[in-house]
Amino acid sequence: MNFWGSSIRVLSGGILGLTWVHAAHGQNLELENNASVETHGFVSQGYIKSTDNNYLGPSERGSFEFTEAGINFTYSTNENLRIGLQIFAHDLGSLGNYSPQFDWYYIDYLFWDWLGLRAGRTKLPFGLYNEFSDIDSARVPVLLPQSVYPVTSRESLLAQTGVELYGQAPLGPAGSLEYRIYGGTIFLSPDNVSASFRDFTVPYLMGGRLMWMLPLEGLSLGASIQRLRLDFDYTPTPEEIAAYQMAGALPPDFAGTLDVRVPFWLWVASAEYQAGDLLVAAEYTESRAELQSTLAVPCTRVVAKGAYGSASYRVLPWLSPGVYFSAHVPDPCGRTGPAKHQYDAALTLRFDLNEHWLFKVEGHYMNGTAQLDPALNDDAPLNTLTSSWGVLLLKTTAYF
Amino acid sequence: MRAAIHTAVLFARRAGKRTAAPLGRRALLLCVSCLLGFCVWLGAARADEARAFQIIVHVENPLSVAERELLADAFLKRASRWPDGEAIAPVDQKFGAPVRAQFSNVVLKRSVAAVRSYWQQRIFSGRGVPPPEVESDAAAVRYVKQHRGGVGYVSSHADTRDVKVLTLR
Repeated sequence: MNFWGSSIRVLSGGILGLTWVHAAHGQNLELENNASVETHGFVSQGYIKSTDNNYLGPSERGSFEFTEAGINFTYSTNENLRIGLQIFAHDLGSLGNYSPQFDWYYIDYLFWDWLGLRAGRTKLPFGLYNEFSDIDSARVPVLLPQSVYPVTSRESLLAQTGVELYGQAPLGPAGSLEYRIYGGTIFLSPDNVSASFRDFTVPYLMGGRLMWMLPLEGLSLGASIQRLRLDFDYTPTPEEIAAYQMAGALPPDFAGTLDVRVPFWLWVASAEYQAGDLLVAAEYTESRAELQSTLAVPCTRVVAKGAYGSASYRVLPWLSPGVYFSAHVPDPCGRTGPAKHQYDAALTLRFDLNEHWLFKVEGHYMNGTAQLDPALNDDAPLNTLTSSWGVLLLKTTAYF
Repeated sequence: MRAAIHTAVLFARRAGKRTAAPLGRRALLLCVSCLLGFCVWLGAARADEARAFQIIVHVENPLSVAERELLADAFLKRASRWPDGEAIAPVDQKFGAPVRAQFSNVVLKRSVAAVRSYWQQRIFSGRGVPPPEVESDAAAVRYVKQHRGGVGYVSSHADTRDVKVLTLR
């Protein structure tokens, strides 16, 4: 086990201890002049087993490489000003590797209910649940629908460093509107660097989300849009260079490395209905990317689409079943057979063992291989992997 | 509640008298009847719940009637100020308290568990922290008395002499 592995075990142990202490004594430290410091944390351990294909890790043989831990502190000086930070570490197959990071940190000032300003590293409001995709205790499924919230894109889609304006405005009999507008950049983790792809930067990122809370209590509709550009250096392997030369794709001035720019447009349309213990949601997303480089490849403009419908209901205080169907359809360029899609039907049972501890069991029936990682599957082409397969996930989370 | 059941039974009987209707349609009518009856019963149950708690504010709060929407926004921290500009300071009762479940269902229109999920989302995404929780009606009264913008809820039999009770609309 590496240094970070040991560190996260210490952190997890600490959070478990804090969970017990806070369950008994509370977590709000009142200071003078109505100021307060709140501390919250969580620690999760999961298990993934798939019938075929390695998914998110070495799942075919069964994998415990599915760990998350986080602790946050929020200091409120009065009703308008808030400062907070969260430290987070995770391990999911080859991702995370227990490396702790500042998940978010910010200073937030609310001028009026319709105008607030946040600066720092903040979670991206993209769709209904992007900001909460790490928060196991806040939802029924173990995995959010991967067509809209791919867990493998956590590093690039979860948070930005910059500023955000937000607010809420009543619309009288038409309900109310909530808006979020942001701009900044993403500092990508060095974990993302590979031998072929290096020096990732995001020169800019901007976007926004508008949520309309309709007069029908619990019903909301939303639209999110995001624009960003990803720049990186691409150093093809000798085999790739030979293939490009055969196809005449390499530029005449090729010197071993190519500068690549990829502007992205992403958007999501969302609908959610919550009444009592019932939660129903549906979302549709599209992402458009344009590869800009001197490399002459056939697919420079790609469009990926995804959608899902989900429902969950708390039938007993300790039991909440949930279902969803999710469909991911990547750009068809260069894809054949089962690699052209991935459909996912999921059923979850969430057991709330007590106020601070939960356990989940989740089964997936998958059709298609579009979201599988060749690197986890002996670099086999995706269209040669098993097209119909299943996944079982078990996860337990303690939180306070 | 009896009225609700009676309505549903009456509706179902009328549906049943139409013997010419195919079995599928009769079953559908019966289901619709049960659903209607359930909704009426739910409404009646919620009305009963509305009487099972009192909304309390600081004695200097000029309001005498509390709009449900404003209360919901205050407790979900979507509204931060009273109409007179005073900062709202909501206080919740502990998880599992019957009065909290009643307040949550009637005012927030969500179960306590759903509200808890809402706060889990806010807490761990850095969007805010929930109102403080207190252990009893007496503690809620004490909190509201100490905060000029305080608002809370207590059971119908609680001693509210030190605070102001609002009518829920």
